[in-house]
Amino acid sequence: MSLVHFQILSAALFSIGLYGVLARRSAVLILLSIELMLNAVNINLIAFSAYTESLASTGQVIAIFVITVAAAEVGLALAIIINLFRSKGSVDIDKIDVMRW
Amino acid sequence: MGSTQESGTEGGVLTESLVVFLIISVVCVAGGLGVVFSRNVIHATFLLLVSLMGVAGIFLLLLAEFLALVQVLIYGGAITIVVLFVIMLTKSDEFESLVDNSQKPLAFLISIGLFVVMTVAAIAADNGNTVRASLKFSDLGHSLFTDWAIPFEVASLVLLVALIGAIVISKQGEEE
Amino acid sequence: MMLLDFTVMEGVQVAWLAPAACILAFVLIVSLRMFDSKIGSVISIVAIASGFAIFLYVFGQFNESGPAEFAREWFTIGSTKITLGMAIDQLSVVMLGVITFVALLVQIYSVSYMEEESRFGWYFGVHSLFAASMLILVLANNLLLLYVAWELVGLCSYLLIGFWYEKRSASEAAKKAFITTRIGDVGLLIGIILLYRTAGTFDTSTIIHIAQEGGFADSTLMAAVLLIFLGAMGKSAQFPLHVWLPDAMEGPTPVSALIHAATMVVAGIYLVARIFPLFEVADPSLTVVAVVGLSTAVIAASIALVMTDLKKILAYSTVSHLGFMMLALGSGAYVVAMFHLFTHAFAKALLFLSAGSVDHGTGGKRDIRQLGGLRKKMPITFVTFSIGALALAGVPPLGGFFSKDEIMMAVMDGRHPVFFLIAIIAAFMSSVYMIRALILVFFGDLKPENQEAHESPALITAPLLILAGISLVAGLVLSGWQDFFNAKHHDINFLVLALSLLASLGGLFLGWAIYSKEWISSRDVAAKFGDLEKYASNGYYLDVGYQWCIDRIVLVVARIVSLFDRIVVNDVAVNGTGYSVFLSGFKLRYVETGKVYNYALAMVVGILVVGLTIYWGLI
Repeated sequence: MSLVHFQILSAALFSIGLYGVLARRSAVLILLSIELMLNAVNINLIAFSAYTESLASTGQVIAIFVITVAAAEVGLALAIIINLFRSKGSVDIDKIDVMRW
Repeated sequence: MGSTQESGTEGGVLTESLVVFLIISVVCVAGGLGVVFSRNVIHATFLLLVSLMGVAGIFLLLLAEFLALVQVLIYGGAITIVVLFVIMLTKSDEFESLVDNSQKPLAFLISIGLFVVMTVAAIAADNGNTVRASLKFSDLGHSLFTDWAIPFEVASLVLLVALIGAIVISKQGEEE
Repeated sequence: MMLLDFTVMEGVQVAWLAPAACILAFVLIVSLRMFDSKIGSVISIVAIASGFAIFLYVFGQFNESGPAEFAREWFTIGSTKITLGMAIDQLSVVMLGVITFVALLVQIYSVSYMEEESRFGWYFGVHSLFAASMLILVLANNLLLLYVAWELVGLCSYLLIGFWYEKRSASEAAKKAFITTRIGDVGLLIGIILLYRTAGTFDTSTIIHIAQEGGFADSTLMAAVLLIFLGAMGKSAQFPLHVWLPDAMEGPTPVSALIHAATMVVAGIYLVARIFPLFEVADPSLTVVAVVGLSTAVIAASIALVMTDLKKILAYSTVSHLGFMMLALGSGAYVVAMFHLFTHAFAKALLFLSAGSVDHGTGGKRDIRQLGGLRKKMPITFVTFSIGALALAGVPPLGGFFSKDEIMMAVMDGRHPVFFLIAIIAAFMSSVYMIRALILVFFGDLKPENQEAHESPALITAPLLILAGISLVAGLVLSGWQDFFNAKHHDINFLVLALSLLASLGGLFLGWAIYSKEWISSRDVAAKFGDLEKYASNGYYLDVGYQWCIDRIVLVVARIVSLFDRIVVNDVAVNGTGYSVFLSGFKLRYVETGKVYNYALAMVVGILVVGLTIYWGLI
């Protein structure tokens, strides 16, 4: 079991998350997909730190920061979604296209 | 720093850890696919939880016990719950009809493409190293509060700002 | 000849004050909006009088210390420095004197002549601007400054010809003058640029120096000189560009006297004289000058013979005499040309002002068939007109005699005898038309409708008398003139002298015989020359030809060009560019769907493309 296994898993999760971001219509589901992508990144970070002696602490520390940012992001994004739902009565991002032609 | 662990035997033969890895991977990927293909938001959220717990397992396999713990606490204990609350708050009829958007096929192709590219790149760069290093809690904490002290403080500030921002944004909507 | 006795300054350093004073007068009159005010005339006259005083001072300095030049840096383009400067030499001193003096007299005359006019102040303002530009023109030490002044002079001429712009013929004449001289000006500009390209400077004396060293290619110099001569032809009304000058008589008579007889029209003569060494280096060009001058002299004189409008007679006479000057230049005698310029300026200004006086006294009559017998009613005008006419006809010892005789001798020296013979004929005609005008206006019976005619007031007659006095004695300065220019005295060729005198007196006698004694009926003469008379009366149909040219060629080409402009330049190039931007923006705006996932997809595709490009080393 070597680094490449974790990388492939990470790539798979990332691609799945990306598909979710690109293909979903509900703001909440897009947010969930973003979480998937962030976790894929974390897998990569920790895998590299585990397999590379000189990076042992760095990868984990950065992963902690990523989780921190993810938490903050989820908080903000959910606030936005609630706000959006209040003003538009919907979380369908197809309906939120006022910034268009 | 920490202990190292030799895993598996050479020549790609199945080892115990690889079996565990494969099982957890299947859980992760299946959970992820469930998130993006499920038609039900609640189901998607719980499937995300499954997938994230799988990731915590992966962290354990990578000898990062602290991160696995954090993963379980934050994602399982906090984020998923908050998401469920939001779903509850924004519950409406449209969730049934809210499926995928018009660029779904293109998004599928692009995602597959990206996966292939990353996989190929990872395999090409593989050096066959199977030695993993673990990190003690104390070492991680030492590193976090010495080498990474300033980013740590900044991260706490980010959290604070996000907290205030979230309150302000949701308050604004209330006033209307 | 020190008239002003304060700190002695170089004449050349003072000379610029003369145009400066006139510009100041113009600016004052225009900026204070004294368009209808009488004060305008006072300002203008004070300015030009101080200009004349400056001339006297400069002249005195010049006699003591000789030619001088000074220049300041004007502006720099890249590594090219353009200087701005004044030069004082024989030519510019003489022109300075003629311009300031004639302009002074004409302006004094105008005060009375124009007093009824609205826009009185404006008239004097433009007069001042004209004087300033003309002074800059003659003082300029480089061709660029000269060109600027040259155009300004043309502008003033335009403004003054069209002074009565309510009259359609006046505004038409103004446009005609402007456009016709413009044809020549284009040549002048191209010529100057050609000279600049080789010489790298606009400085006149440097260019002449380079030319004399052989620094110019023969063909370049030839082309440049001929193009500059084209400019001179336009301004000095040389055949076939002379057509604007007779029409310019639509302007007020003092303007005709100052601008279209004494000063501006001799700018071409002055220009050729100024760069005369260039013509000498490119020798064949002098033949062109001579031929143009000669044909102008003859053709204009023959037209003057049959004109009936007093001012038109004088106008064609001016054209003819400008032709004489060009002929003298073409014969290599620029000193003589300048001398004729000098005597002609006074005589012709005198004639025009006298004609204006007649006009003034008879309530605006200019047709010589309606005038007659005015010598009793307007004695002073009669005397001054006679002096002017005789001077122009070349009767000794008046100014015109000497200058014309000098021209004849120069032509005899420098050119084929045929030139001389034709010139004699032109001189002969010149006598005839002058005596014709004199007799028809002032002798004979007073027409009943002219019983009310009266002599003009003193402000008009005083300038006349001064000019008449000068015309009387102008010829006597001849030898001093030649010394002044360091020119050699011609040995008197008695054959030439006799022929020239014979032509003058014979012409006078013939005119007297036809128009006064009526021994020969003018109708018979006219009948004998039949067609020729008809052609001459119509200015040899040049105007008709030009009109045809404009209608059939210029306007058609212009229409095609305008069509090209409208369709290709306007619709396709300008509007098309704008419309294509509009259209592409209109279509492309649908790319901006406002849907976040579209943007995200585009972003990912972009990242993929950039990543793969780098990975495959395409960049």
